[in-house]
Amino acid sequence: MASATINNSAPQVQIKFLTKQEQYAVPDFPLSVHTSIVPNELNTLVNELLKGSAQLISKCADFEPMKYPSTEVKNNIEFDFLVCSQFLRTSLSEHILERNISTEEVIIVEYVEKYPPPEPQDCLIHDDWVSAVAVCEKWILTGCYDNTLHIWTSKGKHHLVIPGHTSPIKAVAWISLTSDMATFSSAIYSASQDQTAIIWDWNITKNSVDCIHVCRGHERGLEAVNVNYDKTVMATGGWDTMLKIWSTANQDENEDGESASKRLKSEHGKTRIPKRTMKGHKEAISGVVWSDKTEIITSSWDHTIKIWDSELGGIKHELAGNKSFFDLDYSILSRTVITASADRHIRLYDPRSTEGTLVKTIFTSHTQWVQSIRWSPVDENLFISGAYDNEMKLWDTRSPKAPLFDLSGHEDKVLCCNWSNPKFMVSGGADNTVRIFKSKHIVR
Amino acid sequence: MKNQRKIVKRKLNNVLTENNVKKEEPDSTKSIFEEESDSGTEDLLSTEVNNNDESSDEEVNENEDVPVSDTEQDQIVFESDDEESDLSFETDSDDLGLDYSESDEESISLNESNDESKDENLKKKSENFNTPTTSKDNVSEKIKKNKSSKTNINTKNTSDTLQTKKQSKKTNKINKSDELNIGEVVQKDKVQNKKNLKSDIEKSKRKNTKNSTESNINNENNDETIADQEVDEYEYDSSDEEDIRNTVGNIPMKWYDEYDHIGYNWDGKKIIKPQKGDQLDNFLKRMEDPDFWRTIKDPQTGQDVVLSEADIDLITRIQKRKIPDVTFDEYGPWIEWFTSEVMKTPLRKFPEHKRSFLPSKPEARKVSKLVHALKMGWIKSTAELKKEREQKTNKPQFYMLWQSDDQAEEMRRIHKHIPAPKRHLPGHAESYNPPPEYLFDNKELKEWNKLQTTPWKRKLHFIPQKYNSLREVPAYPKYVKERFQRCLDLYLCPRALKMRLTIEPEALVPQLPSPKDLQPFPTTMSMVFKGHADMVRSITAEPMGQYIASGGDDMNLKIWEIATGRCIKTIPCGGIIRSVAWCPNQSLSLIAVAAEKKVLLINPDVGDHLITNKTNQLLEIIPQSDVIVSERVKTAVQWEQAEGDYWTNGIRIILNHFKIVKQVTWHGKGDYFATVMPDGQNRSVLINQLSKRRSQLPFTKSKGLIQCVLFHPIRPYLFVATQRNVRIYDLIKQEMIKKLLSNSQWISSMAIHPGGDNILVGTYDRKMLWFDLDLSTKPYQTLRLHGTGVRGVAFHKRYPLFASGADDRGLIVSHGMVYNDLLQNALIVPLKRLCNHESYNDFGILDVMFHPIQPWVFSAGADSTIRIFN
Repeated sequence: MASATINNSAPQVQIKFLTKQEQYAVPDFPLSVHTSIVPNELNTLVNELLKGSAQLISKCADFEPMKYPSTEVKNNIEFDFLVCSQFLRTSLSEHILERNISTEEVIIVEYVEKYPPPEPQDCLIHDDWVSAVAVCEKWILTGCYDNTLHIWTSKGKHHLVIPGHTSPIKAVAWISLTSDMATFSSAIYSASQDQTAIIWDWNITKNSVDCIHVCRGHERGLEAVNVNYDKTVMATGGWDTMLKIWSTANQDENEDGESASKRLKSEHGKTRIPKRTMKGHKEAISGVVWSDKTEIITSSWDHTIKIWDSELGGIKHELAGNKSFFDLDYSILSRTVITASADRHIRLYDPRSTEGTLVKTIFTSHTQWVQSIRWSPVDENLFISGAYDNEMKLWDTRSPKAPLFDLSGHEDKVLCCNWSNPKFMVSGGADNTVRIFKSKHIVR
Repeated sequence: MKNQRKIVKRKLNNVLTENNVKKEEPDSTKSIFEEESDSGTEDLLSTEVNNNDESSDEEVNENEDVPVSDTEQDQIVFESDDEESDLSFETDSDDLGLDYSESDEESISLNESNDESKDENLKKKSENFNTPTTSKDNVSEKIKKNKSSKTNINTKNTSDTLQTKKQSKKTNKINKSDELNIGEVVQKDKVQNKKNLKSDIEKSKRKNTKNSTESNINNENNDETIADQEVDEYEYDSSDEEDIRNTVGNIPMKWYDEYDHIGYNWDGKKIIKPQKGDQLDNFLKRMEDPDFWRTIKDPQTGQDVVLSEADIDLITRIQKRKIPDVTFDEYGPWIEWFTSEVMKTPLRKFPEHKRSFLPSKPEARKVSKLVHALKMGWIKSTAELKKEREQKTNKPQFYMLWQSDDQAEEMRRIHKHIPAPKRHLPGHAESYNPPPEYLFDNKELKEWNKLQTTPWKRKLHFIPQKYNSLREVPAYPKYVKERFQRCLDLYLCPRALKMRLTIEPEALVPQLPSPKDLQPFPTTMSMVFKGHADMVRSITAEPMGQYIASGGDDMNLKIWEIATGRCIKTIPCGGIIRSVAWCPNQSLSLIAVAAEKKVLLINPDVGDHLITNKTNQLLEIIPQSDVIVSERVKTAVQWEQAEGDYWTNGIRIILNHFKIVKQVTWHGKGDYFATVMPDGQNRSVLINQLSKRRSQLPFTKSKGLIQCVLFHPIRPYLFVATQRNVRIYDLIKQEMIKKLLSNSQWISSMAIHPGGDNILVGTYDRKMLWFDLDLSTKPYQTLRLHGTGVRGVAFHKRYPLFASGADDRGLIVSHGMVYNDLLQNALIVPLKRLCNHESYNDFGILDVMFHPIQPWVFSAGADSTIRIFN
């Protein structure tokens, strides 16, 4: 087996293949390969191995007929190879050299099936810049600079226009969506530059929208909104540097609100005041995310990430960066925070660690400010980012130098992106479009 | 003349002495012999002295006492010798005949009678001589002498006054006029003279001859002794007179040996030799006469003279080399006729010559010659000579030849000396009996031989050889060659390290910190704000840092969101916007826009709704004031409340100026703003108060074409930039504080450090000037970073950054750290040149501004874009 890859002049290393995907398992004996081997060659090698093992199995099928999934391996499968938990993008020798791995030892090469390239599915054309997008199941909610909200289906069908705000909308979020066909309602939450957040009630069947609550309290424009996992409270942050927590419940909180602020109520009738206001940032809050039931992580223009306790109402922890943060997202799968800031780098933070460097990895490929960033809801390693260089990129945390795919299509700045539904990667940009990319998710 | 005088003196003296002799005769109780001998001795002495005087007339007068006494003494000694010989001779003659003693007496008696008769004549003579008529000539001569020689005057005076008293008065008078000192002396003489006058001649006659002789001697010796004596010593001066009783003159007396006389007296009669006694007489005399030892013979008269006590005394004093005069006190107090002390007032009227203060040049030349000679070794100091002599006498010397070889310090004139390479110590191969492994085998020998042409490649330069004993080792054949080679090596090898000073151009550049250490600062362009249709002339940022506003030639004010680069609002202003300024007061939402002749206060209606509403409310109300606005101000500016379309567009107040407004700038608190109309001459600067809607003209005189104005961030100062200078005014005291001299042709823009002590001035002649107000009125640093005129400069409010934009499209970001420590000057480091704008009509960047919080910089370009760099 090894003889196939032997090159006389180049030095040899011992490698051992390993995979977590059982269907592609190969016998784990060490192989000797020349160091200048590139991923493509490794790929053929693995494929050959798989074929070989399949033949072997077919020969002795009597004994263990179902142990190896021999029949599946008909065509060559694209693999990505991980050496030292980073993708092999160059030749093995360079990769090893970069990480100072000894060539004396057996190098374990992990391989995973390559992530299939996302396919552009649709382009939703708006009247103005799309600054906010949120996906829930098949529904796509977008916020626009022309002060309107739009609801689309993932098929690209425009369902509804909701005017109501007086300023551009900066953030949108689904609160809840019930999928019963008859009486179903869903709440839309939108934050906008007019210093209010409005909770909408959308009757899908009737395709009618009601404004349930107007959340007033912010002094300046809002930038970010996030709803917690049990959909009962939400947090907003904006240019007034305050982090405010609101209740999303329909009725129970309503009375409180009534009694507390009569003046606001008289104005709108549905005004809601914040449950809690937390002060701590010095500048605009650009990103808010719930990381736990009672834990909020915020990013701000004042170069800090703060972790708050929503119940106690204080700062638990603070991470200092050296650039203004524009966005952040938290992954419950990997429990790490990824940030976009006022430079072209994406930074991965571990909020739990207090020692060593705060920044775990820096992802650099964008050429302009990264404005928006979202984790994959199902894969702990994948995330997407949208930047002012008109690109959306799909990243794997194990490949910091280069993204997995560049999702191009936008003709202007990408202002927002969303991957709530694992099937769709949605991005909105300054070219007045929302682009939907279909991601073929692999079940592992 | 002298001779004449001498003759007169002589005569006078003769008379006097004779007189004395005569006078003594009746008084003295002594025997005639004695008297005669006395007088004789006196004469003798006088003659002797006179002789002496005559031989050196001048000397006596001038010279001191000692030599005189010496000569006298000698003479006397000589005389005594003569006497002895005479004595022996006499004894011989005495032996011949003793009888002459009597005749001797007789002759004496004869002499006496003669003397008596003469005496009277002489008296008359002396009187004649004393008459003024005869000596007048002398006196006049002396006066002349006095005039001619002052030094002589003293002594001469004494001698002269001796002769004539009356005349001395005259001389004295003349002397007085001549000289003060001399006059004093003369005065003394006068007194003495008067005394002398009083004392009679008789009195002097009464005195015995001894006194007179003494006085004579004293006269010669010293004036002081004369003063001490009361004797009229000046009456007769026989000092330079001969004894002229015998008129034969100055001839050897032996010529008269054959005769019985020894000469002739004044009357022409023979002076008869006294009778000589024989030896027996002499012997008897010697035995009997107690005064024999003091008896001498007068060679002129042949008489025996017995010397008096005083004479003996005198002689013994002279012999003992003492001062002859007993009375002279040589240890008496010194009288200083001429003071030795330096007087306060100079004697001479003219000041000391300049020369006397200067060091003597010839002396210096001599010294330098000596020093040079010493240096060159032409002459040697005594110490050196001594050393040399010692060395010569010492044993042969040996020199340490190799002393300096390993002591680099002592190698004179060679700095950084490299000691000569040491030879390798011989190893085993060099041994006469090397171990067998060092001996060449055939292969090695072959190889050694092969390198015949290139011997330096050999491992060993010789073939090791083995001998049984040291005795058998032959002489080394290559010794001389190797020595020579070694010498060559030493000669050719460098002996000293040459230090060459190489100054790299980089070394001359001041040590500036690396830009990497000065982060954060804008490095890349991150966004372009597109939307303007024409040049963007001015930009301003909202104090919170969320929005910026811009205005330009397309007459629209645009408000942008920084984070996304979206133009949120466009407000038409109806004129080319030359300047926009966001009100720094955070409780007001206002932008001041200078559009042509109008200044618009626009509420952009972004940010906090409460604030924008409040601003609207505030500006709706027109404050009433009863202050009468002067005509001068009224014609310059009118406040106007915006209405209608204006109001809906956000414009709240319009200020109509009488000239094109070039700049508008807010005071830090946001109530006052200043507008600049460069064409307004003495009304080019207006300070407007928003709350009272009032305007002021702070200046009555035009100082030049005003380019821009600026409020101090903390203090009530106003910076006014004219074409060349920046003036700082105190608005409260209403006076100019400082004038900053830019030394450039045309100032374009100005920015103040948030600390308020540093100003950055951009000029159209490509310079940027950093003024430190505490330091000087001249630029602390001049930065020539741009290729063309600088259009805009800006400081960051929080970071130590400043930026400048110019027509060459370049935006230069620099680090400008101002330290709180007053001793430390600001650190200025140019960091980055950002050149992203496109050129349009030769214009590049028109305005530069920093984000109020982030380290981002905005530039407004003529290419109708605004760019943000971070």
